[in-house]
Amino acid sequence: MTRAIFLFISSLLLLLPFVSSEEASSISSQMILCIPLILFLGIPHGAIDNVLYLRKRKIKNAVFIGVYVLIIGLNIGFWMLSPILAYALFLILSAYHFGQSQFSQYFTKQSWNQKALYFFWGLALLFGFVLFNLKEINDIMIQYEEFAVFSPLHQKLAMQIGFAITLALTVGFLLKLTIKKAITIENLSMELLVLCLILVCFYLMPLLIGFTLYFVILHSFKVLREEYHFLNFEREVSSVKGFIYLLTPFTLLSVVGIAFMFGLIHFDVLTISYGYCLIIIISSITLPHVFVMNRFYDLLSYGKGV
Amino acid sequence: MLALDVLTIPKDDAVAFTFFTGYMAMMAASIFFFFERSRVDGKWQLSLLVSGLITFIAAVHYYYMRDYYLATGENPTVLRYIDWTLTVPLMCVEFYLLTKAAGAKVGLLWKLILASVWMLVAGYIGEAFNPEGGDTMHSVLWGFLSTIGYIYILYTAWFGEVAKLAEASNNAVVKRGVRTLAWFVLVGWAIYPIGYMCMPGGWLNTSLGWGSENVDLFYNIADAINKIGFGLVVYNIAISSSAKAQTA
Repeated sequence: MTRAIFLFISSLLLLLPFVSSEEASSISSQMILCIPLILFLGIPHGAIDNVLYLRKRKIKNAVFIGVYVLIIGLNIGFWMLSPILAYALFLILSAYHFGQSQFSQYFTKQSWNQKALYFFWGLALLFGFVLFNLKEINDIMIQYEEFAVFSPLHQKLAMQIGFAITLALTVGFLLKLTIKKAITIENLSMELLVLCLILVCFYLMPLLIGFTLYFVILHSFKVLREEYHFLNFEREVSSVKGFIYLLTPFTLLSVVGIAFMFGLIHFDVLTISYGYCLIIIISSITLPHVFVMNRFYDLLSYGKGV
Repeated sequence: MLALDVLTIPKDDAVAFTFFTGYMAMMAASIFFFFERSRVDGKWQLSLLVSGLITFIAAVHYYYMRDYYLATGENPTVLRYIDWTLTVPLMCVEFYLLTKAAGAKVGLLWKLILASVWMLVAGYIGEAFNPEGGDTMHSVLWGFLSTIGYIYILYTAWFGEVAKLAEASNNAVVKRGVRTLAWFVLVGWAIYPIGYMCMPGGWLNTSLGWGSENVDLFYNIADAINKIGFGLVVYNIAISSSAKAQTA
């Protein structure tokens, strides 16, 4: 069990009775609780992409940031041209990224079996998330007209089939990797337990709270720990305090950027909803981050004590 | 005649069935552990004695709980918690005994016992003093407090002192055994809150409509898994370790 899994299980056990005993929480009250957690604990795990990507590479920081911003700009353009394709791309990349971080401690090489596992695990997670919160998601879709275009992607039957197939494939690949001794039976048991708990969390918790618990603890906290240990091993940072200093500039820049966009919406300069704007922003910072993290996991070598 | 009435188990009553099988299984496990003590090395005999005591204490309580349930149809909450107050700290003693050779101090034992007593007392207040008809706030608050004790034990078994001592023991059998016991704490002990949350006012009762008759069903299943399973893990460690010592 990783510390992230322990923290996730503890938080789930402690929060579940409180949240479930509440009347259905509105999206806005969930946002008050979840947005700060996502901004200040979720975003930081991508705030040192430049530091991670430039390790052992002779590329200037300014060039990297330029390319990073260009990719973000292209993604925003893609959202304007074809929201449905941009949304699908966002989900596919996120699925792979979530799976990759979930299994990062097990593998020193990333073969096709592992990559398929990352992808299907992440997809099962996202299908489960949508399927178990379909009513809340549809309510949001009805409220904001920009989301109407995504409704074909959220049909219940499609979600059920997608969830069943990706879940079966995830279990299949986990079993295959266990048989090939890439992971132990104990690892297999732990991963099956964690997957069940995440799905229980999505099923029982309100939409945003369930996702935030997964995203902040199991994903972001875990990646932050890995980044810290890696940079500590590489002598880039020597303390947690130093690591937080490293995370701060781009975290604040992202938060200020999001606040700026929300300001534009507030003053009617931008005529889209806050939720839609947030999805575009998150998708745009996710796109380059996924590639950076892919390289980061290539660099990680647990056998060398990192 | 009265005794015959008491011992009648309705065919469709899973709770009564599990009370009876739980009693028999606990008694059988106790006899097994007591008899097997003589087959293991001296240093493991105390561990097996504790395993036997855990299942024997539970068997006696199950004997009374079975009758209480058949006679009244109610949850034997007080008997249940008396049983747990004796047996759960004994399970913590097992952790201590396993890691003692690697340097575990009595302080670890007391910390685990305190955490388990905290967990049980909070659970008892939550369950025994639940107002008539159930009060969600009462159930949630005491359930939350009880969970803190559980999380402490879970942390100790997976990352804390117990895990570190097992790692430092350089004994593969002990390492594997402690890890298996940690799994029992993670999965086996997690069945109890499911039972707790089925009582009136518990959120499984109010949100999903799971009836209070499920409380004892979950508790009985969890007890059988944890108490007998815990003992069998300790037995396995003792036998493997003794066999290794003999061949060495």
